[in-house]
Amino acid sequence: MICTNVGIQPPAARQPVAASKKGNVMVVWRTLLVVTASMLLLAEQAGAAGLDPQATAKRVDELLAGESFGGAEEGAALSAAATDQTMLRRLSLDLVGHPPTAEEITAYTLDPAPDKRAAAVERMLGDQRFGQNWGRYWRDVIMYRRTEERALRSAGTLERFLTQELNDDPHWDVIARQFITATGDIQEEGSTAIIMAQMGSAEDTTAEVSRIFLGIQIQCAQCHNHPTDRWKREQFHQLAAFFPRIAVRPVRVDGKRKSFEVVSIDRGPKRKKNNNNRRGNLEHYMPDLDHPEAEGELMQPVFFVTGQKLDRGQSDQDRRGQIAEWITSDSNRWFARAYVNRMWSELVGRGFYEPVDDIGPDREARAPKTLDYLSERFARSQYDVKWLFRVITATDAYARQSRSRYEEDGAPFAANCPQRLRGDQLYNTLASVLEISDRQPPRAKGKKAPNYKQRMNGPRGQLNQTFGYDPSVRRDEVVGSIPQALYLMNGPQLNQAIRARGSNTMLGRLLRDVEDDDVVVEELYLRCLAREPNDEEIETCLEYVKSVGDRAEAFEDITWSLVNSTEFLNRK
Amino acid sequence: MTMHVRHHVDVSLSRRGAIRRRDFLRGISAASLAAGTLSWRDLVSLQAAELQKRGMACIILWMQGGPSHFETFSPKPGHENGGETKAISTSVPGIEVSENFPHFAKVMHHAAIIRSMTSKEGSHPRAHHLMPTGYPPTARAKHPAFGSLVAQQITSDHLDLPAFVRIGRNTRDGAGGGILGIEFDPFVLPEAGKPPTNASPGTTLTRYDRRLGLLGRLDATYAAAGGQQEVAEHQKLYQKAARMIKSSQMKAFDLDGEPANIRDGYGNTPFGNGCLLARRLVETGVPCVELVLGSWDTHFDNFARVREMSGKVDQPLAYLLTDLHQRGMLDKTMVVWMGEFGRTPRINPRGGRDHYPKAFNVVMAGGGVQGGKVIGRTDAAGGTVEDRPVTVTDLLQTFCTCLEIDSTIENIAPNGRPIRIVDDGAPVDELFV
Repeated sequence: MICTNVGIQPPAARQPVAASKKGNVMVVWRTLLVVTASMLLLAEQAGAAGLDPQATAKRVDELLAGESFGGAEEGAALSAAATDQTMLRRLSLDLVGHPPTAEEITAYTLDPAPDKRAAAVERMLGDQRFGQNWGRYWRDVIMYRRTEERALRSAGTLERFLTQELNDDPHWDVIARQFITATGDIQEEGSTAIIMAQMGSAEDTTAEVSRIFLGIQIQCAQCHNHPTDRWKREQFHQLAAFFPRIAVRPVRVDGKRKSFEVVSIDRGPKRKKNNNNRRGNLEHYMPDLDHPEAEGELMQPVFFVTGQKLDRGQSDQDRRGQIAEWITSDSNRWFARAYVNRMWSELVGRGFYEPVDDIGPDREARAPKTLDYLSERFARSQYDVKWLFRVITATDAYARQSRSRYEEDGAPFAANCPQRLRGDQLYNTLASVLEISDRQPPRAKGKKAPNYKQRMNGPRGQLNQTFGYDPSVRRDEVVGSIPQALYLMNGPQLNQAIRARGSNTMLGRLLRDVEDDDVVVEELYLRCLAREPNDEEIETCLEYVKSVGDRAEAFEDITWSLVNSTEFLNRK
Repeated sequence: MTMHVRHHVDVSLSRRGAIRRRDFLRGISAASLAAGTLSWRDLVSLQAAELQKRGMACIILWMQGGPSHFETFSPKPGHENGGETKAISTSVPGIEVSENFPHFAKVMHHAAIIRSMTSKEGSHPRAHHLMPTGYPPTARAKHPAFGSLVAQQITSDHLDLPAFVRIGRNTRDGAGGGILGIEFDPFVLPEAGKPPTNASPGTTLTRYDRRLGLLGRLDATYAAAGGQQEVAEHQKLYQKAARMIKSSQMKAFDLDGEPANIRDGYGNTPFGNGCLLARRLVETGVPCVELVLGSWDTHFDNFARVREMSGKVDQPLAYLLTDLHQRGMLDKTMVVWMGEFGRTPRINPRGGRDHYPKAFNVVMAGGGVQGGKVIGRTDAAGGTVEDRPVTVTDLLQTFCTCLEIDSTIENIAPNGRPIRIVDDGAPVDELFV
């Protein structure tokens, strides 16, 4: 009750649905935790300013200045603040996954308010496309590591689940617990996606849970002790002992395979082999490397970070419910660090650790104090996703002009870094620039909804297959491909959409309505790159129009060049 | 500097392609590496160019679904498991294949059958990962397909076309460039005989060049505003793509110029055209072409369906081997016929055979493989390998031997873990003597 009085949602309301289905012990345990957390929260209220996004951002910049730029000569290495136009395109692509419209650019540029950036961020965080953008991001994080192609059947459900979660008062711990404890039909429960992508294999699911939620590649210790970090082989298999009872079963309707479901296997014959098939096993065994055919060593579930243990013989839901609690608990600092590192990396362009899902423990962070501080605050915010976006986008580190990521300048975060657009961001940009509708044509009555294969073969799906990339991979390793270049240069739909003749295309209407060529150039730049052209660019384009001698043809070429430009494919 | 590297490459390569990263690093002065004049990637491409000079290539015929060994190259006519399938004699005395391959039987002297393949992966997606990569699927690292490794290891500056071309419907199951990056993904051609997607400019070539020129000028602004590296990479990629589009090598995709008797020889079918295109691409310098043909997943009505599938393969395969031989290309072109696994010895109540990885067969030819050979044997019932078991890694080691690729070369996964081209296993040396 006291909680509601101070305007804070009691954490009890945020408990995942997929809690223990039996055993009141867990419920009592959890209630205790909730009460403790609430009390901590109340204590925090005394210094509520500690969570003010603007103040937190300021503190982040101070810490960075101290530990990162302190040694730089006279701050000369620091990149200048980005222009309004760069800033708005960056914010729009980062937060909602779409470029800003020409109207938004004008309004933002002319707005004299000193807090216009924060206001724009607030507007975008309230936009439904925020959840969709980041839902698609996490869909890619999970799906690019699938070992099972049929997991793609759940991609749409996963995207919808994440979209809703991320739009609706998102807390990362709540989302994580749902993924870890998920059961149900993969085409109804988006949270089953991590498990389905690994076909329920205990070891692969363990590896993914650790990678995604802890940023720890403990699976390197699956077969041998970790070469660079301190984890032992046994610790990986102790973590896997939380996940052996997961099974993935086909769902049949009238004898036909319709879907898959993630279920708990709490009964049945004890198999003396590991759960590397989708049938599940009552306990997990660490294989004997010298005798792979042998039964291996029976493992007790132990969480390697804290050493917390569970007895063997527990039900699947008790095991997964417990490890979900331990992973998302404040006593496990990796949980907050992994998320903060990843989001910082996406927004500022470089991570404290790279790749983003390999953060330790024996690696050195760029600017460790900043990461510690931000992670600790994020945990205090109750892992409030939108809060973290508010903070990071309010920092000077975020708002600086970009520099090529290949330049090693010594001072981390002295500039933002260009980010190659993900497939969905690029699709949204093309659709908006060329005024192509993203809507599926209306379905004829009685016709079935497109299945996952049809969706993948639709325009967005195809573009994602050509331009998409695994967001967890180091960005300097993400390179362009020939089919990408061919698509943008020669794709028939694209060339159709940039046609200038007639009035059923964007360019056709523009040339019909605007007589001045320099205004057309400005308009094209605004649409394609969300900025005005500089004098040199206007001159280059006008000269080009003159040399071609055919206005329509020349502007088709200019539009083509802008759509094919490096700037178009990157967010500065 | 360059001379130094070249010299080292030559020395190393004299040991039948045995180049290891360490050898390279040892051979190159530390100073030049420190000065950043030569990256590891440069070193790899140096080696790749040397390999390409020798013109090694491979054509992989991927039989999607898992073809029955009983009805293809390991018939068991005397046993109840063999079903109705008869065996026929071949051009090599003592070697018999199933009656579904009469054309192939006549060129048996060019090919070798491995009848003792064995693996443990009996599900399509897992086996379709294991067979082309040599590794079971895992979230730890995306293992590259063998074709992608070939593209990485053998590529030539003179090649304007993609180095790994896949012909046929992409079922999305198979592996791609994985940890090597999308530049080594297969370039997918849905159907032989049609030009590749988006490969012809929508305008005249003059206008196309004009557009590229404008793009270069407009990109310069972004380069000046903090994106120089991004622009440099983008321009490089576009030059490569433009070079491909405008290249005379694109003619390889056009089968119309091929004489009628050759086209008839390949059979004028979709798969036959694919085989013809594969030869044309290899001739042009593409080091790896993969053809996909499905489906061999004969859970019911096995005999009629395998007969039908074999009918699609038999003549084109036989003619491909003959054609490559006649052109003097077979020694340097490895041809492999394989699928995910074999089929169960027991015929199920629906007249079908189910998945069976414990014993199956693969056909190899060219690339140094001596024809007219059979490796290994299954028992009379066709369910157990009795002699000379060959694992998937043994098979991939054999591919490396054919193509003179050093299988111990390591690629680095995103988590820093080094991954060998092939881990474990040993080549089937009997194929080469």
